[in-house]
Amino acid sequence: MQAEDQPAQPAVIAAPREWTLPKRPSVAANIWKFTRRKPLGAFGMLIVITMLAMTLGTPKASFGAPDLPSRPLGFELGKPWLARYDAEAIFRNVDTGRIARYNKPSTDHWLGTDKGGRDTYSRMVFAARRSLFIGLWALMFATVIGTAVGVVSAYFRGWFDTIIQRIMDSFQAFPALLILILLVSLRPPSLTILAFGLGFVGVTSVQRIVRGVVLSTREQPFVEAARVIGATDLRTMVFHILPNIMAPIIVVFSIGLGAVILAEAALAFIAPQRVPQDPSWGIMLQQTRAYLPPEAEGYHTLAAGGAIVLAVLGFNLAGDALRDVLDPRLRVG
Amino acid sequence: MQQYILRRILLNLLVIYFVATLVFLLLRIDTDYVVTQRAGQTSVAESGSSQDSTEAAKALVRKDLGLDKPILKQYWIYLKDIAQGDLGESFQAKDDVMSEIGNRLGPSLELGLLQVIVALVIAVPIGIVSAIRQDSIVDYVLRFVSIAFLGIPVFVLAVFVLLGSARWLHYTPPLTTYKDLFPFPPFSTGRGVDIWMNLQIMFMPAIVGGLGTGAIIMRFLRSQMLEVMRQDYVRTAWAKGLRERVIIMRHALKNALIPVLTVVGLLLGTIVSGNVILETIFGIPGIGLWVVNAISNLDYPVVQGVVLVVAVTLVFVNLMVDIAYAWLDPRIRYG
Repeated sequence: MQAEDQPAQPAVIAAPREWTLPKRPSVAANIWKFTRRKPLGAFGMLIVITMLAMTLGTPKASFGAPDLPSRPLGFELGKPWLARYDAEAIFRNVDTGRIARYNKPSTDHWLGTDKGGRDTYSRMVFAARRSLFIGLWALMFATVIGTAVGVVSAYFRGWFDTIIQRIMDSFQAFPALLILILLVSLRPPSLTILAFGLGFVGVTSVQRIVRGVVLSTREQPFVEAARVIGATDLRTMVFHILPNIMAPIIVVFSIGLGAVILAEAALAFIAPQRVPQDPSWGIMLQQTRAYLPPEAEGYHTLAAGGAIVLAVLGFNLAGDALRDVLDPRLRVG
Repeated sequence: MQQYILRRILLNLLVIYFVATLVFLLLRIDTDYVVTQRAGQTSVAESGSSQDSTEAAKALVRKDLGLDKPILKQYWIYLKDIAQGDLGESFQAKDDVMSEIGNRLGPSLELGLLQVIVALVIAVPIGIVSAIRQDSIVDYVLRFVSIAFLGIPVFVLAVFVLLGSARWLHYTPPLTTYKDLFPFPPFSTGRGVDIWMNLQIMFMPAIVGGLGTGAIIMRFLRSQMLEVMRQDYVRTAWAKGLRERVIIMRHALKNALIPVLTVVGLLLGTIVSGNVILETIFGIPGIGLWVVNAISNLDYPVVQGVVLVVAVTLVFVNLMVDIAYAWLDPRIRYG
């Protein structure tokens, strides 16, 4: 009876309302959202991208072991596209035929010329390559070693951890700048050595942060689960803990880059004769201080100092924003 | 507490031992290069370029550095000398490194202290104002300024200040030696301390260094103040009807300053090594300038000695800071 009251089942089930997948926001929309939420971070990113663009040049077909600064990635890079002239090109004044020392900015030389008649703007762009690649190699070294030490030290804890941490404390007690000046003076000048030295100094802070993160990660259920199914220590560390601490590592990497670039510039400034001469912001800054050229009008100083300030600021802001997005609770430095 | 201090001192000794060993190893990475460089510098005057004399010069340098002995013996002698407080004598001036460090400590410490004072004088009022007027225009402006000074590296700022004053004010600080600047012990030269000269030299670097340090302290103090101002006892103080000045200065600031003081202490420790840059730029005859010159002269006993002394200062300043922390804030206990 009741069945008759109910309306008969329609023979064909009415098509459900059309399903629409939520539209994946476009890349542009994501960038816009990031910019709105973190304007300073976006500004930092802009500086970082500009600096990356400064290093790009036509690669040459010569492969081999990476060497700084000429072969940063194992192959040689030509003149950066953003530079107008070669870094060592010497210009002469058209009217007098003399070397164009300390020219004021003009359409030919956007930031004027330096003591040797070379284009300041082009040298500034060239120097970005040196700073960035020294930073990248140093941070790569620091991050790999620091992560390995931090993970192992925190994973095993106990007396092993204590010994490792005391050794790290003694690295920390090193006056880093002095050690770096010493290191570059102990060997024939080489930027590769310098990069390793800078990385070595960075190991302690990287490992401290990584260790802190791992100490809490290793207590989580998935690590316990891994242990229960019989994963070896190595397997637990590499396949279970490491993927879960990638976010802090990325943040440490990006914030560390600013610090390393700053340290490299300071070192080139303090001990230029020990650091190979080629376009370098630190050495450019040092030159103006040493001679106080009356006609330079400070453009040289402004170019070098401004580049250092902007680069460091850019990496710090970008790193901070990245931290807020990836791992807000992380305390760095 | 006593046990804690004792344990820390023992650990510090271990750390210092590690530092000494690292310096030892560092100086022996590439002895050939060092010896060649050093021999090149010493034998320029007397030798032609004959092979014999350079070999002789090299042998002499090896003997000077003690590199002709087996490495373990070198290590033993090195550690023994350090334990006896003997850091050897410098190559260049043949001075006893230990007493030279003592002589040059004066200007370095003075600069460090002045820097911290400048930083505190700037940072404390700004930090307080910025915290109690949170999110106002004043706060934003002050925070922006502090971020700016945090971002400008000290050597860039120093160059701009020095060039600017030379160009527009036609003034640069005078140059002098530590004997005039800071006779040690005081008044040993009979002329006393020339305070006017001293101030002229210290003025610029103290301010340049103080700005950078001040920015760090200000940011830290601001966040501490914000935290303290939200505590219950501060609300009680408001409820009692105390004046704003009293609440901020007596109740909030006292507690907010404790963690800040530890930061100041740690900065004081790093200042010894951080002042290398300021001393080099402004020509202040302290430890930093001395060691940079020593490095370019390949004067290894000096470098070795200074690195060790700085490391020792650093670890013990850290210990002092921790003890002072417990003394200032009785809630803190070290087990």
